[in-house]
Amino acid sequence: MNDRFFPTGKPRAVQGGIKARSSRGAIAQTWWGERFIAVLERAGIGGRLQRGKTYARKGQVISMEVTAGRVDAVVQGSRPKPYRVRIGAPAFGKAEWAAVESELAGSAWYLARLLAGEMPADIEEVFSKVGLSLFPKGPQELSMDCTCPDWGVPCKHVAAAIYLLAESFDDDPFRILAWRGRTREDLLAKLTIASGGGAPAGAGAAAPESPDVPLADLLDSYFTLQGALPGPSPAAAVGILVQAPDVDVTVRGQALTALLAPAYRDLAD
Amino acid sequence: MFAVHGFWSGDGLSLWAEDSDLPTSTSSQAVRSVRPHPFAATADALTGLLPGTPTTAELQLPSQRSAPLDSPELLRVNPRRATRVDPVLSSWRVPAVRLEGAAGLAWLTDPGQVAARFGASVTHLRDLARFARDLAERGRVLPAVTPTGTGGVAHWRPVLQGPDALAQHRLVAALPPVSRAAGGQGDARAIVDEALHRLTDAAVRERLAEAGSLLPARRGRRPTVEPVADAWLGALTGPDGRFAAPPDGVARLAQALSPWAQLGSGEDEPARATFRLVEPPADATPAVDTPQPWRLEFLLQSTTDPSLLIPAPQAWDGGGPLRRWVDRPQELLLTELGRASRLYPALATGLRSARPDHLDLDHADALEFLTVAAPALDEAGFGMLMPNWWRRRRPLGLRMTSSTPTDAAATEGRFGRDQVADFEWRLALGDESLTDAEIEAIAATKAPLVRLRGQWVAVDPEQLRRGLDFLEREGTGRTTAAQVLALAATHPEDVDLPLRVSGIEADGWLGALLAGTTAEQLEPVAPTERLRANLRPYQERGLSWLTFLSRVGLGACLADDMGLGKTLQLLALEATERDGTDEAAEHLPSLLLCPMSLIGNWQAEVRKFAPHLRLHVHHGPQRLSGPDLTDRLAETDIVVTTYSTATRDIDDLEPVSWNRVVLDEAQAIKNRHSRAAKAVGRLQARHRVALTGTPVENRLGELWSIMNFLNPGLLGSPETFRARYAIPVERHADTDAAVRLRQVTRPYLLRRVKTDPAIIDDLPEKIEVKQYYRLTTEQASLYQSVVDDMMDRIAGSDGIERRGNVLAAMTKLKQVCNHPAQLLHERSAVGRRSGKVIRLEEIVEEILAEDDRALLFTQYAGFAELVVPHLAARFGTDVLYLHGGTPRAARERMVERFQSDQGPPMFVLSLKAGGTGLNLTAANHVIHLDRWWNPAVENQATDRAFRIGQKRNVQVRKFIGTGTLEEKIDTLLEEKAALADMVVSDGEGWLTELSTGDLRELFTLSEGAVGE
Repeated sequence: MNDRFFPTGKPRAVQGGIKARSSRGAIAQTWWGERFIAVLERAGIGGRLQRGKTYARKGQVISMEVTAGRVDAVVQGSRPKPYRVRIGAPAFGKAEWAAVESELAGSAWYLARLLAGEMPADIEEVFSKVGLSLFPKGPQELSMDCTCPDWGVPCKHVAAAIYLLAESFDDDPFRILAWRGRTREDLLAKLTIASGGGAPAGAGAAAPESPDVPLADLLDSYFTLQGALPGPSPAAAVGILVQAPDVDVTVRGQALTALLAPAYRDLAD
Repeated sequence: MFAVHGFWSGDGLSLWAEDSDLPTSTSSQAVRSVRPHPFAATADALTGLLPGTPTTAELQLPSQRSAPLDSPELLRVNPRRATRVDPVLSSWRVPAVRLEGAAGLAWLTDPGQVAARFGASVTHLRDLARFARDLAERGRVLPAVTPTGTGGVAHWRPVLQGPDALAQHRLVAALPPVSRAAGGQGDARAIVDEALHRLTDAAVRERLAEAGSLLPARRGRRPTVEPVADAWLGALTGPDGRFAAPPDGVARLAQALSPWAQLGSGEDEPARATFRLVEPPADATPAVDTPQPWRLEFLLQSTTDPSLLIPAPQAWDGGGPLRRWVDRPQELLLTELGRASRLYPALATGLRSARPDHLDLDHADALEFLTVAAPALDEAGFGMLMPNWWRRRRPLGLRMTSSTPTDAAATEGRFGRDQVADFEWRLALGDESLTDAEIEAIAATKAPLVRLRGQWVAVDPEQLRRGLDFLEREGTGRTTAAQVLALAATHPEDVDLPLRVSGIEADGWLGALLAGTTAEQLEPVAPTERLRANLRPYQERGLSWLTFLSRVGLGACLADDMGLGKTLQLLALEATERDGTDEAAEHLPSLLLCPMSLIGNWQAEVRKFAPHLRLHVHHGPQRLSGPDLTDRLAETDIVVTTYSTATRDIDDLEPVSWNRVVLDEAQAIKNRHSRAAKAVGRLQARHRVALTGTPVENRLGELWSIMNFLNPGLLGSPETFRARYAIPVERHADTDAAVRLRQVTRPYLLRRVKTDPAIIDDLPEKIEVKQYYRLTTEQASLYQSVVDDMMDRIAGSDGIERRGNVLAAMTKLKQVCNHPAQLLHERSAVGRRSGKVIRLEEIVEEILAEDDRALLFTQYAGFAELVVPHLAARFGTDVLYLHGGTPRAARERMVERFQSDQGPPMFVLSLKAGGTGLNLTAANHVIHLDRWWNPAVENQATDRAFRIGQKRNVQVRKFIGTGTLEEKIDTLLEEKAALADMVVSDGEGWLTELSTGDLRELFTLSEGAVGE
């Protein structure tokens, strides 16, 4: 509204900034991403997020860090010095997390889904059971600051950061928990200990694949097969699309998976 | 002779070849630089041999100072001398041809007839291409995008999980070093990945070519800039995946698709979750069932050491020995279970505890897991430990027992297909009919999984109810034998019954036919006394079987091994049947189709075994047509013709009502689209017979073609046959489908192999076969000009000079019969210029199909040097060659190699060098490529294989060109057999004593010598 009081020069280009991947449609693709956006919408700022979209897509966000209770982002605007953006929400305390963790420890389901990249649908109940809310209840719990001179709340820099934050929650649901005060590592350590597991082993991970034998050592069998060829494969059981995680790609308004389905039928014929 | 090798680089396949005719060494001693490969096939030779764009490649090959070593596939008539110097790697430049993506896939899938031998690198790539096609057909692919400077490339990548990841590992491990020999090549894994990726992409595009673009119709106005995703999706079909788009748009698309990138990318976790289904204890009766008697246990299995299986409780306690590979087993187990719950949502219940280690299932859950979830989890790469019985499960089905009434009146005197049969249906488990008590017990339990006779059986209560209803209403009745046979051949899915048909059983001849035991059970049919042969017991059984199927009116495929006398059995059938029919019956001729090269054989065999049968050869430019043909048929028993003549004259042959149509070497109609296959389908006959030693040469579709000729419609349409039998059996090694196909075809197929203990005692130790063939037109005209020229010379000479001329004439004529190139001293491709070589290829094909080994004798080094590389290239195998100049040590090595278990299947020997002192009992075939008019010499050679230590029967073949001097001298020898031993004991000299008139008679080509 008051943008015009300030120079509206083009934002400076950023090398290697974080770029939003969705090119159209809703910001968040998962239910938990949507829940996060819904909180903002209840705060009456959902609609204004669109302002940050172009910024987010261009890669104006230089960096973003999620820590307990806050998200710090650095966003390049039209001025030489990038702006600092902070999105705050109160993190849960030690005691509160202990209560949550003891609930989570009773059922491996939550962690299993989280590790497989999904926020389990019923995890909100776990928090509400101990009197907490996983997502900020409303605008009063959220604080948004930016060092730019723009008065609009949120300004496009904050909006761009929120936009990317929603995407990063989609990618890794553990980040929401980190924002609320528990990193993935802490949580895993607490939960595996809580469920009786030992400390992580010090031994190295899988041995690297042995590199190829040098050609010069194979002169005796240079022209021959070095092992048996694979035999015929068993028939297919399920389509790959069932197994594939969701992707956010639409073509002419239709979901990619829907458009690909007939191709997989043609392949089988 | 060429040996073709290949390697994959970048987007395409490169092929190069060695040529054994080129000199073996280079003059360049510049060991450190890249030298031209001295015996690599030239660019010209290569483009004549293979498709693709000419190019060159630099290869590192094991070499001596002045030359690379030969690949084992390269066959030299005169082997290079072995040196004691250890080989080193040197760089060589070779001409090559390059085939990009789709063209590479096409060539690897079907290279066609290439006059060359393929090296292991080509074999490897061909298997890789097969795998790529297979992945495409099974939909184990996902689309992806790779950014380029001006946009992106849309491509399909293979998704490798579980068994497919294993297959890829094997391809990497098996890669021959020469496949990595091209300059700047990556490691084995990178090469296989790249080739697989590119070939899979090509295979997907090929399969989607028909359907066209995946892009949906545009709604609304056309945007000014085409969205990146549109361009990408559009580029996923069509020949080229490249598309233009702004780079950041492509990057965003790649980001959006990133969740797919990890799936089946071939990067393994150190361990994977494995599921074990544990069945309820055996003593639990349905009545005292716990509500959830099945247990699905979770385990972790090490990828590095698959034998290491850790049950979930142990993983929770720290992982035990798995700790060697896995840092945090608990976390890995949970991640895996979380991933699995996506495919198997019911798993959630099992995860609702602090340390989940199993899931309890009721019968319905267990059934759902077995049928739906397990295959999906297996394919997604999870481990599956299923109860053993599940793999051998037999479904609940219906089984028919039919019996033919013994009461003669009830059959109304009818026999054969129209014969009446009573039938009864029963519930059955596989082959076993269920008792009434068992049926009651199943009906009483409401569970979908029921334990029955030691196995668990899936029972759909609704289906069971309808099945029992059916048994009540239509469980018994009366039908005809023809209908029972038709039902037995029908695929279970096509039978309109509430449960699948699990078996059909019958008594009497019908039962024997269905069980495939007809030949053993029949009353033997005595051959007519006019047949001039003593049938061996198995041949009598064959005759009985043919006679029986003929009487019942069913088409028969006699598929005995070569050398067991299919021709004789067929002639016995014709002779015996014709002898038995009364005079009043209508006379119908039989039509026999065979390859051109076999006409002479049939003529000779009829002459020998059943001279009273009236034979007419319908072949050649002077053949009859129209009324002339009809008149001739009225007084003919058997008409012999070739497939191509019959195809050409089908309009003349179609209206004839034949007694029987016989296809010899029936694989000639293996391609159902071929003109010959279509033509034979139009012939009208009372009975049909196919003779073949190899009913399935390459693909099951060939069997379909033969069976469809014999009994049209029996195996359904070609499309359903492909879907139900060919694809499951060929591509997925599905044993159920294979067993079913065997069941369906066995009433109509009789196959005896010569290694069968029941046959082997019946066989003589040595079978001598005269192998007739016909000259090609080129051979015939060459033959004629040699005769003209030499007869002039003989007539104009006497004494020693005349003798010399006679012997020279003989030699030249024998050479023409072998191959024109031998007489003309040409070094050109063998091609299809010699009737003898064409026939030889057919015979070798059968010998190899039966996994046998052969000795091939010739008197002429020139012919051996022609045949050895040709056979090696044509059949992709080593061919040993021993001649007078072979050093003693090499001789011994060759003999040892031939006699070893994995020895080469063919050994060419010069008659003189190989005549004595060798023990070659690994061979059970002896082929005399040309004749030595001295039986003693031939017999001595034959005895190489036929010696102490020979455990099998030996088949001896002598080539005889119809109408040539080969045939005439053979006849002469036969007629004077007693005399011959004495007269001709000193070689071929006796021939020179013949008068000029006799010689002219002997040399002149008689009628019927030329093929088409």
